[in-house]
Amino acid sequence: MRFNDNKNFARDIHSLVNPIAAIAPDKPVSEVAELFLNPDYAKVLSLPVVENGIPIGVISRYRFMDLYLKQYARELHGKRPIRNYINHRPLLVELDQPLAEAALHIAEHMSFPLTEDFIIIRHGKYLGLGFVMDLLKAMESQMRANTNELNQAYSQLKSSQMALVQSEKMASLGQMVAGIAHEINTPLGYVQNNVAVGQELFIHIQNLIAGYESLVDNLLDEQADEAEISAQMEQIAAMRLDFNAEEMLGDMQGLMVDSLYGIGQISELVMNLKNFSRMDAAATEAINLNDCIESALNIGRNVLKDKVEIIKELTELPKLTCTPSQLNQVFLNLFTNAAQAMETMGRLHICSWYDEQAVHVSVSDNGKGIPQENLVRIFDPFFTTKPIGEGTGLGLAISHQIIQQHGGEIRVESRLGVGTDFHISLPFAAGNVAQSAQPSIH
Amino acid sequence: MSKPTLLLIDDEERILRSLRMLFMTNYTVRMTTDPQEALRILREEKVHVIISDQRMPVMQGSALLALARETSPATMRILLTGYSDLEASIASVNEGEVFRYLMKPWSADEVRQVVAEATAIAQASYAVQSHAPAVTEDKKPRVLIMDDDEAVSKTVCEILGDRCEVIWANTAQHAMEELARQDISVVVSDLMLGDTNVGYILKTIKQLNPQTQCIVVTNFNDTSRLIDLINQAQISRYLPKPLNKSSLARNLDSMLARFHALRSQPVLANRQAVAQISDPKEKLQSGNFMGMLGRLRARIGV
Repeated sequence: MRFNDNKNFARDIHSLVNPIAAIAPDKPVSEVAELFLNPDYAKVLSLPVVENGIPIGVISRYRFMDLYLKQYARELHGKRPIRNYINHRPLLVELDQPLAEAALHIAEHMSFPLTEDFIIIRHGKYLGLGFVMDLLKAMESQMRANTNELNQAYSQLKSSQMALVQSEKMASLGQMVAGIAHEINTPLGYVQNNVAVGQELFIHIQNLIAGYESLVDNLLDEQADEAEISAQMEQIAAMRLDFNAEEMLGDMQGLMVDSLYGIGQISELVMNLKNFSRMDAAATEAINLNDCIESALNIGRNVLKDKVEIIKELTELPKLTCTPSQLNQVFLNLFTNAAQAMETMGRLHICSWYDEQAVHVSVSDNGKGIPQENLVRIFDPFFTTKPIGEGTGLGLAISHQIIQQHGGEIRVESRLGVGTDFHISLPFAAGNVAQSAQPSIH
Repeated sequence: MSKPTLLLIDDEERILRSLRMLFMTNYTVRMTTDPQEALRILREEKVHVIISDQRMPVMQGSALLALARETSPATMRILLTGYSDLEASIASVNEGEVFRYLMKPWSADEVRQVVAEATAIAQASYAVQSHAPAVTEDKKPRVLIMDDDEAVSKTVCEILGDRCEVIWANTAQHAMEELARQDISVVVSDLMLGDTNVGYILKTIKQLNPQTQCIVVTNFNDTSRLIDLINQAQISRYLPKPLNKSSLARNLDSMLARFHALRSQPVLANRQAVAQISDPKEKLQSGNFMGMLGRLRARIGV
């Protein structure tokens, strides 16, 4: 007889069936006892007793031990039918029952110590024997699979959350990029044009010099034809009339200065972008928070410049260990939100200061304010009052998360028609980021 | 002969200095960073071409060009911007009625060519402006609706009543046949007919019938496509869907009036001269359309 190899994970009751021959209820006790000695049945705790295909009970090895411990038990009971000794309420499991349900049923009705196997039936008829240990193993492997699934689902959730955060970052950057494109296109426009103009000027000057040179050559040549010389002189005079080299060169000088300035502007913008995004996005660094504020202001300049007047009261700050690129994002988000809240030219008041525990930044605008019912939801993900397509509703939620990760706090107060204040405090020595900055002891 | 005058407005002086250098040989260049000063110059001097930036602190370029249109209608208007947002481009069509919408950074040759073209048109405009003979219309103007949705056609019928003949085409083929057969005053068109992008039809119309005025009605929001339609189709209006009936009525009236004005002074139709079609596929489609037009017109004897 072969048992199921349950090392492979059993996924249902089918795989737990051991087709062990059933015992007729009239089989004498001694013959049944012999069966238990069969090495094939070494694993078997109990044998099924079946009448007309229907299981009527089980007889366990344990029951025999109990029985045979008594004196003359073999002689007394050996010839009697097993029917009188069986447990009439065996554990029955339907073949099509889900594994977990069967396990629950068995766990509830199992007796300790474990002395009996369970009987697997289909439509009430005996099919085979199931071992409790196999069931437990199957359950365990199933649970392991479930755990894997859960882990997978969790990491999927986590990555989609990261994707959302990323898309918010892209959305707010997208607005910035449009603005920055303008800022770059303007200097690029005149620099490119100046170079084109300079190139043309260069050709003019080349022609002029060629004219002068051949005239000088002729003048130095004693054999030169007078008529040719005067023709050349006329030609040069015409060129000079047509093209005022001195004035043009003077103007061009100015354009060169402009071009250098423009290139400087472009470089500065590129530098700002680079500072802002910091390729090593997650890196922590000890920095002055005022730099983050300035960086965000630089990047947001295009959105802010026509909408708000910026008043800065930045106190010289001690360095704080944080993730600068993330804090840049927080500040940019607060600044652009404020600019968007302005119906007319408004004011944006940015203050920074510090105490023993933390650095504080407040960002106050005199925009239209936020109604109370929105204020309580302002840090909720996907909550937005902006038109569809303009806001993901994640900006402040992410800001909130970033500040929390820094062990800090972000609070908001608002009065309708007066304005909104955001207050951020970031502790010097709190949260996971700041730990690496603990001074070492000497 | 005195040099034509070019007026430059930008809030960045370096742009002004740079452009001045490009044009100073052939033009009298006036430049300012102040839109009010620009308007003063327009009032007091004969300006052939005005080039304005879009994003300026005091006034948007499209708004300045709208004022320039009132102050000096003969002056050709060009927008030169580094920022292509939809709002600005719509305003530059509907309010500024710009001749070209150019992007920064620009190509020196292209800008020079556009300005030369605009200057020639402005000179012609100044020449005819003073004596406009009145023209009496002999037949009803025809308005062609190119839209999948018949409701647009019905709305136009309601607005125009029996003043005009309204034709509804809901396929590109039908639209092209109508354009071949008849002298259309105003086209009201979506950008898509069924699956066909009809941009090439709008771009071709202006090459054939410069007097025909195009009103684009659409819910597409594609800035770069709109800029193409400004430069290569000289669409007269861009109205977002869903349509506002009173705004459509107002614009239909002014476009019909403009069509009449151009009939009496065909030279002015040049003010809406179009740039070459840049997209190779549309160029091909336009060529086919022209060929078909030629054959159709020969057959029906237009």
